[in-house]
Amino acid sequence: MATQVFKLPESLKGDVKYSFCPGCDHGVAVRLVAEVLDELGVRENTILAASIGCSVTIYDFINVDSLEAPHGRAMAEATGIKRARPDKIVFTYQGDGDFASIGLAESMHAALRGENITAICINNTTYGMTGGQLGPTTLVGQVTTTSPTGRNVDYYGYPIKIAEHIALCDGTAFSARVSLDTVANIKKAKQAIKKAFEVQIHGLGFGFVEILSTCPTNWKMSPEKAHERVRNEMMPVFKPGIYKDVTVQN
Amino acid sequence: MSRIVIDKEKCKACYLCINECPKQLIKISNDTNKLGVHTVEFNDPDNKCIGCAMCAMRCPDLAITEVYRG
Ligand SMILES: Cc1ncc(C[n+]2csc(CCOP(=O)(O)OP(=O)(O)O)c2C)c(N)n1
Ligand code: SF4
Ligand SMILES: [Mg+2]
Repeated sequence: MATQVFKLPESLKGDVKYSFCPGCDHGVAVRLVAEVLDELGVRENTILAASIGCSVTIYDFINVDSLEAPHGRAMAEATGIKRARPDKIVFTYQGDGDFASIGLAESMHAALRGENITAICINNTTYGMTGGQLGPTTLVGQVTTTSPTGRNVDYYGYPIKIAEHIALCDGTAFSARVSLDTVANIKKAKQAIKKAFEVQIHGLGFGFVEILSTCPTNWKMSPEKAHERVRNEMMPVFKPGIYKDVTVQN
Repeated sequence: MSRIVIDKEKCKACYLCINECPKQLIKISNDTNKLGVHTVEFNDPDNKCIGCAMCAMRCPDLAITEVYRG
């Protein structure tokens, strides 16, 4: 008798058809979040604060209650939801632009306040939804529609290392950066996402995962080449790792 | 017998699964789906599939909907 080793997560709506571009790692990230909600058995008790960007479409696929926030304000909205309903599991799913550019104040202060919520941030080094503009995580030298000669630090400054900054906040319980470039790393990513929810379940503080992800469309690369770029260009700058975990430190 | 199930209507032809299969059992199909793309197909006449689910974990569109090992 063959045993089933892979099935669609119950936390995704039946017969899901993502609207992401072909090969976009957003799809993998959404699946991992859904699998974690399944494994923790919290789906029925979870609320999503949705963001703006390609990330927003998660609310069409994930089978939890959700509220839409203005661009960058998901963390503020999540704070309000969690404070009003501390019995609920509250999370955000945001892009790098949403979390670390227009929403940087909301994000950083949520971590500093130690809000008991979970934030998943998809770092694809660009504003995907609006056509590939320079964002806060755009790499030095990277060509985008608004940096046609490459990111020049004299003019645009440096990319932000989000997971490291969040780890420095005293209210943070868990902060990690993971990559989806290989199946082995996809498995590690899921463990980190699970941990970021577990610290919330145990009331330990802010749980955060930055996920290195692809945007084949705006990078103008095949999905395969996009994973090579994650490995060769992004991972040396945005180093994967666990930057803070209070469950280990205590 | 190990095997995978593909929902061809969900396949967007990124072809990431093709290189993931350690037994090279996934190929580009001659058939197209409603998106108008040549989907992938699973061909395993000699029962070589080991049910590792690498393809399903790589697929960004959940087009590989079930994997059985045994
Ligand atoms: C207040 C406001 N400013 C600008 C926009 C336009 N806008 C929509 S999505 C987006 C960027 C999203 O980028 P990111 O958060 O990195 O998500 P991605 O699409 O890359 O996943 C911008 C600038 C908006 N919707 N609202
Ligand atoms: S624009 Fe980029 S981030 Fe958005 S769905 Fe397409 S590939 Fe993914
Ligand atoms: Mg982005």
